[in-house]
Amino acid sequence: MDPSEERPDPDTILKEIQAGPDKKQGKLKIFFGYAAGVGKTYAMLDEAQERYRSGTDVLVGYIEPHTRPETMRLLHGLPALPPKIVRYRNIELREFDLDAALRRKPGLILVDELAHTNAEGVRNRKRFQDIEELLNAGIDVYTTVNVQHIESLNDAVERITKVRVQETVPDSIFDRADRIKLIDIEPDELLRRFQEGKIYRPDRAETAVHHFFTKENLRLLRELAMRKAADRISNENLNEPHLSEKMENAKMLVCIGPSPSSAKCIRWTARTAEAFHAHWAALYVESIESDFLSKDQKKTIRANMDLAERLGAEVVTLTGHDVSVSVAEYARLSGITNIVVGKSRNKKALKTLFEPAFEDKLISLLPGIEIHIIPDSTSAHRYKKPRKTGGEPNFSFSGKDTVKMFGVLAATILLSYLLRSFGFADSNVIMVYILSVLVVSRVTEGYAYGIVASVVSVLSFNFFFTEPYFTFSAIQPEYPITFLIMLMVALITSALTVRVKTQARLAVRRERRTEVLYEINKKLLATRGMDRIVGLTNEYLVNLFGRSVVFFTEDPEERVTGSVRKAARDVDAAFFHSEDERAVAHWVFLNQKRAGAGTDTLMGAGAFYMPIIAQGKVLAVWGISCKKGALDHNARLFLRMIGSQVAMALERQHLSDKQRNIVVEAEKEKMRGNLLRAISHDLRTPLSGILGASSAIRENGDHLDETTREKLIADIQEESQWLIRMVENLLSVTRISEGKTKVAKNPEAAEEVIAAAVSRVKKRFPERNILVHVPDELLEVPMDGTLIEQVLMNLLDNALKFSPGGSAVEVSLKKENGQALFEVADRGKGIAAEEFPYLFTGNFPGTKSPDSSRGMGIGLSICMTIIKAHNGRMEAANRKGGGAVFRFTLPLKEGD
Amino acid sequence: MELKPLVLIVEDEDTICNFMTAILNSNGYRVLKSDSGGAGLSMTASYSPDVILLDLGLPDIDGIDVLKKLRTWTKTPVVVVSARGQEQEKVEALDLGADDYIVKPFGTSELLARIRTALRHSPKSMGAESKGSDKFSVGDLEINYGRREVFLAGKKVHLTPVEYKILALLSKNAGKVLTHDYMIKEIWGPYSSDSHTLRVNMANLRRKIEKNPGEPKYILTEVGVGYRMSEELT
Repeated sequence: MDPSEERPDPDTILKEIQAGPDKKQGKLKIFFGYAAGVGKTYAMLDEAQERYRSGTDVLVGYIEPHTRPETMRLLHGLPALPPKIVRYRNIELREFDLDAALRRKPGLILVDELAHTNAEGVRNRKRFQDIEELLNAGIDVYTTVNVQHIESLNDAVERITKVRVQETVPDSIFDRADRIKLIDIEPDELLRRFQEGKIYRPDRAETAVHHFFTKENLRLLRELAMRKAADRISNENLNEPHLSEKMENAKMLVCIGPSPSSAKCIRWTARTAEAFHAHWAALYVESIESDFLSKDQKKTIRANMDLAERLGAEVVTLTGHDVSVSVAEYARLSGITNIVVGKSRNKKALKTLFEPAFEDKLISLLPGIEIHIIPDSTSAHRYKKPRKTGGEPNFSFSGKDTVKMFGVLAATILLSYLLRSFGFADSNVIMVYILSVLVVSRVTEGYAYGIVASVVSVLSFNFFFTEPYFTFSAIQPEYPITFLIMLMVALITSALTVRVKTQARLAVRRERRTEVLYEINKKLLATRGMDRIVGLTNEYLVNLFGRSVVFFTEDPEERVTGSVRKAARDVDAAFFHSEDERAVAHWVFLNQKRAGAGTDTLMGAGAFYMPIIAQGKVLAVWGISCKKGALDHNARLFLRMIGSQVAMALERQHLSDKQRNIVVEAEKEKMRGNLLRAISHDLRTPLSGILGASSAIRENGDHLDETTREKLIADIQEESQWLIRMVENLLSVTRISEGKTKVAKNPEAAEEVIAAAVSRVKKRFPERNILVHVPDELLEVPMDGTLIEQVLMNLLDNALKFSPGGSAVEVSLKKENGQALFEVADRGKGIAAEEFPYLFTGNFPGTKSPDSSRGMGIGLSICMTIIKAHNGRMEAANRKGGGAVFRFTLPLKEGD
Repeated sequence: MELKPLVLIVEDEDTICNFMTAILNSNGYRVLKSDSGGAGLSMTASYSPDVILLDLGLPDIDGIDVLKKLRTWTKTPVVVVSARGQEQEKVEALDLGADDYIVKPFGTSELLARIRTALRHSPKSMGAESKGSDKFSVGDLEINYGRREVFLAGKKVHLTPVEYKILALLSKNAGKVLTHDYMIKEIWGPYSSDSHTLRVNMANLRRKIEKNPGEPKYILTEVGVGYRMSEELT
């Protein structure tokens, strides 16, 4: 084997180097501490000063204004960005000015407090998002953060300090940092600083010290911070691919629900997965109960899903009536090795008496999987079970259903009377009652009516059909048992019926969703062309969500407007065209992330924007109007599903466009090749003639008589003229192929073009008679005048060449069917039948003498090319009475 | 002895230069040759030729730029030599003050005719000949500028004011090509740019003075460039 094959190709390396700066990501350095006052900002500024002195373009983006004076002194000499003043509820807030920083584009920027939450009205909700944008723009960033702000350590910190930290940063940004500098001092020293009032102003110090700055707390936080930093170092060592591969077999799954304690499970899983270098997923199972969740619970689910996504999980939503079965099914299919579930102790519902616990079921379904149970103790007092919270629609009453219930019950009593009067036994009456409960559950919504009906039927049975009649007392001793059994049967019947109904409804909804997806997929498969794909998608989105949508297939920064479709029921779609909305879409294009209403970025926008990504490239961006309120989780999920379908369609479209271009290119290449071959052959003959004649004159000049010399010179002239014409034809062709597929058309007076062509041909054939007929009406035809002149000259040339000297050649112009019809007719011998198929192709297959038809084929094929490029038609025919006629038409109106 | 007119050829192709020199020398012109734009400019300054033949594709300076520079200080007639298919360039050159153009490849008679026309319209010869001239005639066509009348074979032709303006403009510059833009500005003023109106009027004018508008004798079309009035019928 040739050893040089192993060597890297220098061109590739060069390309990589050249491509490098474009996609350059900024480097992030985090100054990491365990508490306020350890000296992060000081260390950051100190290092920045050093970088500044060594020539780096340093810019101070934002430093907390109440920083210690010793620290502030270090700011001296560094260029700083003025903060952005944001007015919020009449308070002036100073914020980091992201846009100014991006415009200024320094080499290194300092932004304090990574975990900061921006004021309302700033593009991003969180400062770490600002920093991500800076890094994406290729700017190096120095920032500071304390351990309690790390998302995955949130619970641990809460356990230590009993303070829940609201401002958190996802671990991903911490992991993304190129360097972490741990700033560490002894807790004793920190406390001393604190007591000297160097950390907080004295008035705030008192509260802080009690809650946070205890020696115990600081010691634990310090340990946490050091461990986190140490984890990172060991992680870096593991980053070699061969080492991390063996961890591929671990995959974790966390089950999330509407409980806030799910967040704890998510964080725990994130930390553990991180430690094991395992992939992890978060699963939410939509069940019957999901319908009855309160608004707050739905919000919590969404927050949990967002949290999981931020921490790097793959978020999955499934629909199923039995949560454990769905989880087990998913776990089996996606090769999950560990499942994390949350469990609270106070879950003492009646149901648990009959049903095995969730985790028990999981274990029985998946005996080979490890299950981790995270106790939910901390939030027990804060969180109430779903049953007790919010308005639960299954227990609400409506007039219509109440009437239905009482109607059915009344009918039951009547029917029972009837049966009783016919002498049927009590057991039949009970059967009728049970039937009535079933009917009530069937025709009404929710559990309530079934339960009420069960109780009422037992009571009325007691009242009407047990002795003593018309009282609620029963003498026979077996009656209470009868009542009890009857009640239980009724209750279970009603519960089962309701459940079946709900499942049916869920199934229908699921079915519909699948159906819609299938339908979209089918339609997209049958759709060709970007515009149609956009149109179809917009139509579906509008119909499905009842909101206006916008679809950008190109980055709107470049003045592209998206294709907007207004929903009939929506407020207004005009806002999509505003500069601000376009800027949001542009941001989405650049950052490949969702943004706009209902997200953390640019939440002031009127719509929710979402990128359609395939193979790491944003193919399009969608905007869904949120003027009617934010989209719920289901809608977003559904959007994402449709998005992946559309991504496929768009990708396919891109590919087929590319393919078509290649085919067109190849076709052109082929045509050019054919032409070249034909021409080189044709050029050889006249050139040899010229060369022969000229050398004859030069070498034998003295021996040639006057007529011979004259003849030779005339030959040279004639052959050169032919060559010139050929070259002009060729130039015409290059003009067409250079100018894409279309020619540049200007309105020209057709008669003038004919006149120009005729006069030029006449110069060459002064003795010949050319008759020109033009209409009285002026015909203005959009065309490239020189090219059409070329066509006419070629046709005239041929006509003169192939007709006897005395005969006239006719050129005429007519208006016919909204087109200009040009005709060139001669009285020659016409076109032989076998020539017709090859007339405009440029090569005659027959073995005609090359001189007789020399260049004619090429001339005609060029004519054809020119006329086609004008959207015209061209044909040839034999004339009555002998001779040939060539016709071509040009559309009179542009775009016909 | 009458002084032979001096022609400056600014052209970098030797063969073209050679045969032009041959033709011109044998037809009573003196010839100066320059193979670059820079040399052409300095030779114009030092020899003050009567007419300049300027090739647009020069090795050093773009021919258009040479023309621009020339026009800042001299009105010496310039005939632009260009290849076919560069209509846009020709129009630009004409609008920048070139007097005429000739398309490669050209014949002897064409070259001589262009030079004759250019010399006739040059500021040097303008003084005597055309100023006082009140009449123009070519073939059967006769124009009386003083009375604004046009005759074809002795018979009066009725023209609209615009048609007369077009005819007068072309005849006063007979032999020279006038670009569409130039004619429109001359006839309708500086703010008009409607070539459609010009074409319609031209078509009507031709139907009045030409025997066959498809085979005009008096007003010739230069496709993509403009119009030219014949000086003599061939």
